[in-house]
Amino acid sequence: MIGAIGRRAALFAWTGVVFVFIFAPIISTITFSFNSARFPSLPWAGFSLKWYAAVLTGTTIRGSFTNSLVVAGATAVIATFIGFATAYVDYRYRFTGKTVYMALAALPPTVPVVILGVAMLTFEARLDLYGSLTGIIVAHVVLCAPFATALVRMRLADLDPDLEPAAWNLGATLWRTMSGVILPFCAAALLAAFFMAAAVSFDEFMIAWFVSGTHETLPVRILDMLQGQVSPRINAVGSLVFGVSITLVALAQLLSARRASNADRRGRDE
Amino acid sequence: MSVLMLELDRLAKHFGRQVAVADVSLSVEKGEFVALMGPSGCGKTTLLRMVAGLDQPTAGEIRLWGRRINEDEPWRRDAPLVWQNYALFPFLNVRKNIEFGLKQRGVPAAARRKKAAEWMERFGIGALGERSTTQLSGGQRQRVALARALVTEPEMLLLDEPLSALDPHLKVRMQSELVRLHRELGITFICVTHSQSEAFAMASRVAILNDGRVQQVDRRSANRFVAEFVGCNNIIAGTVSKIDSTGLVLASALGEIRTAATGAAPARGTPVSLIVPADRIELLAAPQSGGNEIAARVATLEFVGSIVTVFLETVDGGELRTQRSLQDIERMALALGQPVVARWSPADGYLLEI
Amino acid sequence: MRPAALVRREARREAVRFALFWGAPSLVWQSLFFLVPMGFLVAMTFWSVRNFRLTPDFTLANWKFVLGASFFHSAYLYTLELSLLTSAAASIIAFPSAYALAFAVSARLRGLFVSMLLVPFFTSYPVRIYALEIILSPKGVINRTLADVGLAPIHLIGTPTATVIGYLTLALPVVVLLQTLALAGVDRTLVEAAHNLHCSRVRTIASVVLPSARTGLTVSAAFAFVLTFGDYIAPLYLGGSKPPTLSILIADQVKSGNNWPRASVVAVTMIVTLAAALAVMLGLAYRNPKGRS
Repeated sequence: MIGAIGRRAALFAWTGVVFVFIFAPIISTITFSFNSARFPSLPWAGFSLKWYAAVLTGTTIRGSFTNSLVVAGATAVIATFIGFATAYVDYRYRFTGKTVYMALAALPPTVPVVILGVAMLTFEARLDLYGSLTGIIVAHVVLCAPFATALVRMRLADLDPDLEPAAWNLGATLWRTMSGVILPFCAAALLAAFFMAAAVSFDEFMIAWFVSGTHETLPVRILDMLQGQVSPRINAVGSLVFGVSITLVALAQLLSARRASNADRRGRDE
Repeated sequence: MSVLMLELDRLAKHFGRQVAVADVSLSVEKGEFVALMGPSGCGKTTLLRMVAGLDQPTAGEIRLWGRRINEDEPWRRDAPLVWQNYALFPFLNVRKNIEFGLKQRGVPAAARRKKAAEWMERFGIGALGERSTTQLSGGQRQRVALARALVTEPEMLLLDEPLSALDPHLKVRMQSELVRLHRELGITFICVTHSQSEAFAMASRVAILNDGRVQQVDRRSANRFVAEFVGCNNIIAGTVSKIDSTGLVLASALGEIRTAATGAAPARGTPVSLIVPADRIELLAAPQSGGNEIAARVATLEFVGSIVTVFLETVDGGELRTQRSLQDIERMALALGQPVVARWSPADGYLLEI
Repeated sequence: MRPAALVRREARREAVRFALFWGAPSLVWQSLFFLVPMGFLVAMTFWSVRNFRLTPDFTLANWKFVLGASFFHSAYLYTLELSLLTSAAASIIAFPSAYALAFAVSARLRGLFVSMLLVPFFTSYPVRIYALEIILSPKGVINRTLADVGLAPIHLIGTPTATVIGYLTLALPVVVLLQTLALAGVDRTLVEAAHNLHCSRVRTIASVVLPSARTGLTVSAAFAFVLTFGDYIAPLYLGGSKPPTLSILIADQVKSGNNWPRASVVAVTMIVTLAAALAVMLGLAYRNPKGRS
C-alpha cells in the first residue's frame, strides 16, 4: 500500500517539477513585469506598473505592435481562405498527384524557420518585397495555411458525405451548396482557423526578423531589445504579447464552442 | 401509346474495374410504385443514384418523358431522394431543412413557410419546426426527410432503404404509411430495399437485381438465384409427364408431383424445376389424401426465434426443408430419424424454366 | 430544350471551374511562395559574391569552402550533438509526467493539463528565453539562492548546458503533450492482461506500454530533434554562440557577412540532415515490429 502511494506521489512530484520548469519563465516574466526594481530578482521591490507605462507610451513599440496586428490580420484572412480551399479539395476530390499536392500544402511547418527566413529573404530581395509588411504577410501565410487546413479538415471529416449530394438533389448548384451547406457547417472551424493563424503570425519572430527590414513586427522589436542590456520593459512587452495571444486563442475557443451549441439549439437565422 | 415516364435503357455503371451495374433496362410508368430489390452489392442503390444524377452512367441512357437526361446535373432534376440515413442538415432546424428545396427554387420566404407548415402538419410533425434535427427520434427524422423531399411537389420520389433504420414495430407501420402516401399523392415512387417482404408488401412492381442485372420484374421468381434468395425454398427437379385440366404432373425422383398450371404450360418432356416454399409444406405422421405427399425422415432441426426449419431426408437421398412454428413442432414431438410425411398443395408450387 | 451536347459541355465546364477555383489557391501560393524560394535557395548555393554583389553563377566554390571549413564541421557536430542530446533528455524527462497524466489522472483533468501544455506555444519564445537568461545569470534567482545558502555560484550563461536548458524549454511542452497522447492511446486491457499474467508494474511498462506507444514516443522525439536543430534563440542568448550552431552560422552569414550563397549552403545541409534524420526516425516509428509470427 505504502509503495503504491509513494509511487504515485513520486510521479506527481516529477510531473509538478516538469510543469514548474515549463511555466517558470512565463510566470517569471509576468510576475516581474510588475516589479518596480530594474533587475528582476528576489526580494520583491514593490508593485509597479511603470514598465507597462514605458512600453505603451514608447512609439517604437506601439509602431511594431500595429505592424504585428496588421500582418496577423492579413495573414489570418488569406491563410484561412487557402486553408479552407485545401481542406475542401482534400475532402471532396481524388485525382492523380493528390499526395504531392497535399504534401506540398503540409510541408512548410516542417522546415526550420531559420531556413524559411533565409529563403524568403533572398527571394523577396529579388522581387523588391523585402522590408515591406507585404513580404512578411506572404511568408506568414505560407507558414500558417497548413494549420488552417488541418483545423478545417478535421471539421470536414465529421461532415456526412451524403449532405452535399442531398443539397444537389434538392436543387442547389455547386456554388449554392458551398455557401448553403459546406460553409455554414465549417463556420466554427473557420473562426478557429482564423484566430489560430493570427496567433501564429503574431508570435512569429524568426522569418519576420529576416524579412522585415525597417517595418518591424513586435517579436522582431523584442529580439532587438534582447540584444541590449537587461531591460525590465521586456517583461512588460512579453506579458502584453502573451495577453494578446491567449486572448486570440480563447476567443477562438469561446466563439467556436458557442456557435456549435447555438446551431444545435436554434437553427440559423437567414 | 403514351410516353413512358422513366426509361432506363441498357444502363451500365463501372467504377474503374468494378462493375456496379452491368446492363439494366427498366421502364416506369407515371404513378407506379416500383421496388428495386436485391442483396447488397447488386447495384440497386447505384441505379437510384443514376436516376437522381449523382452518378453518371458509363453506358446506356436514362430518359424522362422521352428526353435523355444523362447529362442533367443533379440540381436540374426533379427526383428528390429520401436518403437511407436521411442526410438532414444538422446546422438547420427542422423547418429550414424542409424549406431547403423551395429556397433553391427561389420561392419567397412567406410562401416557403406556408408550404413547409402544410407538409409538416400532414406528417404530424407540425410542433417540431424550430427543433434541431439532432434531437429527433428515428421516426421523426424520417418524416422530416419525407417532408423535405415532397414539399417541392415532385413527380417522382426516390427512396433508399426507407425502412432499414427503423425499429421493427415502426417498420411495419411505416410500410403501410408509405403505401397510403403513394396512393394519396399519385406520384411515382421508386424504392430500393434488400428486404423481400418490404418490396412485395409496398410495391406494385418489383425488380429483382443481382450482380448488376435485373433478374426478374415480377412477383414470381424466374430463375434459380431468385428462388434461393427469396425466402427458404425447395427446388425439385423433374420432367413434365402429363398435362391435364387441373395442371401438370411432373415425374421426379420423389415420385409423381402435381402442380397447378400458371400461364403457358411447358411441353411434355420439358425438364423443369419446381419451387416449393418451405413454409407451405406441412408434416404429418401418416399419409392422408389430397396434395403431394412425400415420405421422408427427420434429419435435423434448426431453431431461429420461433421458427423451426426441419430438414428432411427423402427416399432418394435428397433433402426437403419445411418451416413450421415452434408451437407446431412441439405439438408433434418430433425425434431425429422419425419417419414423417411431407405434404403440400399443388397450388403452392411453381415452375422455373431451366 | 438545349441540345444534349451543349448541356454536356456546359455542365462539365462549370464543374471544372468550381474545382479549379478551390484547387488553385493552395497550389499557386505554395508553389510561388514556398517552392520557388526554396528552389532559389538551392540554386543560390551555386552563385558567387563578386565585389560585394550577388551574381548568378554556377560554381562549387561555396560548397567546397563551407564543407571544408573547420568552423562548419564543429558547428555541424555541435548542433547535431546538442539536438540529439536534448531529444533524448526531453523524452526521458517527459516520460514519467506523461505516464502520470495518461494513467494516474482522470480524463477531465488530463484534458486540463493538455490545454495547459498548449499555453507555452502561444507565448513569445524569445521572451521565455530572456526570462531563463535572467534566472540563470550570475545575479539571477538560482545563483542568488545558492549565495544565500552559502554555496558557490554556478556559471551557466554561455555554456552548452544553458543552451540545452533553453532547448528543453522549447521541446518539453511538445514532447510531454505528444507522449501523453501516445500513452493515453495504449489499450488498457493489454496492461491489465500483463498484470494478470504476473508482470510487475515496471516490467509491464517495458514490455507492454512502451512497445504499444512506440510510434507516438518516437514521433515526439523526432519533433524535439527537428525543433531544436533549427533553433536560433537559445544557443544565441543562453549559449553565448561560442561555439555557434548552424542556425547562428546562417544568421551571421546573412546579416553581417552578407554572403548569401554560403548561408544557403549551410541551410541546404541542414535540410538534408533533417530529411535524413526524419526518414530514419519516422521509419523506426512506423515500421512493423520484427519477430511477428
